[in-house]
Amino acid sequence: MNEHAPPADAATLVEARGLSRIFRVPVHGEGTGAALRHFLARRYKDVVAVDDVTFSIRRGERIGFLGANGAGKTTTLKMLSGLLLPTKGSVRIGGVDPFPKAPAFLRRIALVMGNKQQLLWDLPAKETFRLNAAIYGIDDATYARRVDELATMLDVARLLDQPVRKLSLGERMKCELLASLIHGPDVLFLDEPTLGLDVNAQVAVREFLRRYNETTGATILLTSHYMADITALCDRVLVIHEGRLIFDGDLRALARRFAPRKELRLELPAAVTAADVAHVAGDGVAGDGVAHVATDGRVVRFAVDPAQLSATLVRALTTLNPVDVTVTEPPIEDSIARILRGDTGGTTPTTTATHSAPATTATTEPRA
Amino acid sequence: MRIARILSLFWRTSWAAEAEYRGNFVFAALASAGNLCASACSLWLFYQGGGGFPGWTFDESLVVLGLFSLYTGVVGSVLAPNLGRIVQHVEQGTLEFVLLKPLDSQLQVSLRVLSPWGLADVGWGVVLLVAGLARSGHAQPSLLWAIVPLSSGVVLLYALWFLVATTAVWFTKIYNATEVLRGLLDAGRFPMAAYPAAYRFVFIFIVPVAFLTTVPGEALLGRASSSMLAASPFVAAVAFVAARAFWGRAMRRYTGASG
Amino acid sequence: MSALQPTSVGDRIRAGWRIARGLFRAGYAYMTEYRAELILWALANSLPFILMGAWTQASTRGHFALSPLDLVRYFLAVFVVRQLTVVWVLWEVEQQVQGGKLAPQLLQPVDPAWRHLMNHVAERVARLPFAASLVVLFFALYPAAFFVPSAMTLALFLVLVAAAFLLRFLVQYTLAMLCFWTERASSIEQLNFVLYMFLGGAIAPLDFFPPAVRAVADWTPFPSMMWLPCRVLLGGVPTAEVARAVAVLVGWCVVFFVASRLLWRAGLRRFSAMGA
Repeated sequence: MNEHAPPADAATLVEARGLSRIFRVPVHGEGTGAALRHFLARRYKDVVAVDDVTFSIRRGERIGFLGANGAGKTTTLKMLSGLLLPTKGSVRIGGVDPFPKAPAFLRRIALVMGNKQQLLWDLPAKETFRLNAAIYGIDDATYARRVDELATMLDVARLLDQPVRKLSLGERMKCELLASLIHGPDVLFLDEPTLGLDVNAQVAVREFLRRYNETTGATILLTSHYMADITALCDRVLVIHEGRLIFDGDLRALARRFAPRKELRLELPAAVTAADVAHVAGDGVAGDGVAHVATDGRVVRFAVDPAQLSATLVRALTTLNPVDVTVTEPPIEDSIARILRGDTGGTTPTTTATHSAPATTATTEPRA
Repeated sequence: MRIARILSLFWRTSWAAEAEYRGNFVFAALASAGNLCASACSLWLFYQGGGGFPGWTFDESLVVLGLFSLYTGVVGSVLAPNLGRIVQHVEQGTLEFVLLKPLDSQLQVSLRVLSPWGLADVGWGVVLLVAGLARSGHAQPSLLWAIVPLSSGVVLLYALWFLVATTAVWFTKIYNATEVLRGLLDAGRFPMAAYPAAYRFVFIFIVPVAFLTTVPGEALLGRASSSMLAASPFVAAVAFVAARAFWGRAMRRYTGASG
Repeated sequence: MSALQPTSVGDRIRAGWRIARGLFRAGYAYMTEYRAELILWALANSLPFILMGAWTQASTRGHFALSPLDLVRYFLAVFVVRQLTVVWVLWEVEQQVQGGKLAPQLLQPVDPAWRHLMNHVAERVARLPFAASLVVLFFALYPAAFFVPSAMTLALFLVLVAAAFLLRFLVQYTLAMLCFWTERASSIEQLNFVLYMFLGGAIAPLDFFPPAVRAVADWTPFPSMMWLPCRVLLGGVPTAEVARAVAVLVGWCVVFFVASRLLWRAGLRRFSAMGA
């Protein structure tokens, strides 16, 4: 199909090496004088959106790009799909450089953007499908079969003859997916595909993507800032923070990496004193391994490095006579939420659980 | 063949999409007729008091006015509805969909929509053209001679509009740059002989309006100068190549392939 | 006025002034954000200059009521008047009625018409420096056309331009009220615009019209929206003719003011009946 050397590993689909993207942004000043100066001699500053990102993806993987707004997820996705030229570094999709957008390459990929639509607003969704089929050169029989299959999988068969403007947001996104998949792509780029959808529609889109991946073996790369999308769908997560790839691995590894400490919660018979805290913390013996998190009346909580856990427990049990002891691993959602807030430096576990999903593992009974 | 099939689908869907607003068409036709009437009347006013355009009878000038209306129709049906969307594409980021389709992106943004709005102008334009030709004794116009300057005129019109509309990629906030061009092209409603020398210079060399209506008009009347006849496809080709190159440049900028 | 409420009229005027000033400020801030568009809109109005060329060229050959220099000044005045009387209220109303943005406006204690009017006034002020510099540029390129009208003429011109703007605004606002009933109000305005350009004298000074056409045109609202101020600026129009034109202008202002108010009320009834 192409003259590029095949990738080292035949199963490798995406190769990104040292991918960087710098945007030049004009600097504006305030006021008319500044506006005039800006007009005459523009000043620019360089904004590094993606900085030296390297990874490879195997055929059939479901990859989630995770990061705060403006972290560089969408820029990365655009470079992978050939929409943006990397400032530095290279991308190969199936051994092909995506940027020239060769027709053979474009026929293999699909891009779905949650906040943008390609469906013709005033017409039934079917019209868009037919148009795309013509553009991609799909014959009538294949077209009919694909629409049939996809419409069944997405449960939208009854919606295809209604004008798009009459559909709900969720129904519209399902039709967007159908329109994007009519040519049977084997690489899917999805940028925030569940943006703004209600919970049911989010689940439906996720389930569809999983089934599409399982039945066709297509590779799925998606960005999202709904953690549920990532945890429910992706077997591998790439975390991008301030343009850099700071994590590449599966969900469990992500939890270990960003929430390596367990939470130790002690309920004491009397109000907690500073001396109690200092004692459990090991009076400096344990170094940074134990950190005091919060005190609330008779309850005190610590973040404990797993290596220090037994020693700390012994200290607490022997001297403080706690009424109740709990050791938990903070839920992965919390650690992800921290990443999305742009807070990756600290290792202190989040103390407020804002998500209903249960913790992935718990060494003892979770807190009541 | 594939392109023809896609274009027919493009246009069918755009007609279907406008079907709900079809009632507007009656008013558009009326407004277009009124507009043309006013233009014809103002042309007639020029010929009062012994005035008029040197070398052009009133009926011959009607031919130019008819061509102008024809081009106005092309603008209303093809250029304005399609190229006006480039700004939207850039602003809303839907240009991504266009770029990732295995079909030339300039073709997609230029011919996606065929709107019925300009058809009335085309219709009235043809009526005026035929009437002007018949009344000025050119019942059998030199169609063969005119085909080259006429199609060059259409290509030139497209290229000029496309060049201006594509600036949207740089200045997203400015959506009405094409209005300035539309205003300048208004000069095409009269033959070039109507204007002082300085104007003619501008309309031949800077905003080549002369090649849109006057040169094809002269060709239809069988009296175009050979130099203008030869120049018109050349001017159109240069403008088209420039438009094509400018689009390439705009897309390189959009995708970050150029500074 | 009455002894019981000696300050009520003054208070109302002051309150009205405060509202107008507030609306103007908001409108002006908005318009300056779109300066680049304003400049392009101003440049897009090149038709008067095109016709200026064609008419001065024609007048060197035939016999017309105005001299070539008068024609240059006339079309320059047309350009200025067009800059100062541009109206787009129909599209604003269309957007509000069909885009569902009217309801929140109705809850405010100011009639939306004032907001539209002040938007237009603010746009005018924002556009003024640019339009003025175009006129200066024109005189620099063509100094022979330069002239200084008398203070009296200039004052009359400005008053007439303001009145012309008001009438154009009222006519279009009246047509805009049709948005409550039809989605094609803008097509009707297109037709209105053609009449305005032709009978208003933007294509050719009314002086060139055949007497029969002229006699009819004089009684329509259009000549007073463009031809009247432009022609007054050039001078040489008999006072009786100006007076009659002003009377027609005032008459049409009253007619369209009443019509627009009646249609507004009927439109609102329909709007609320539709449950919008």
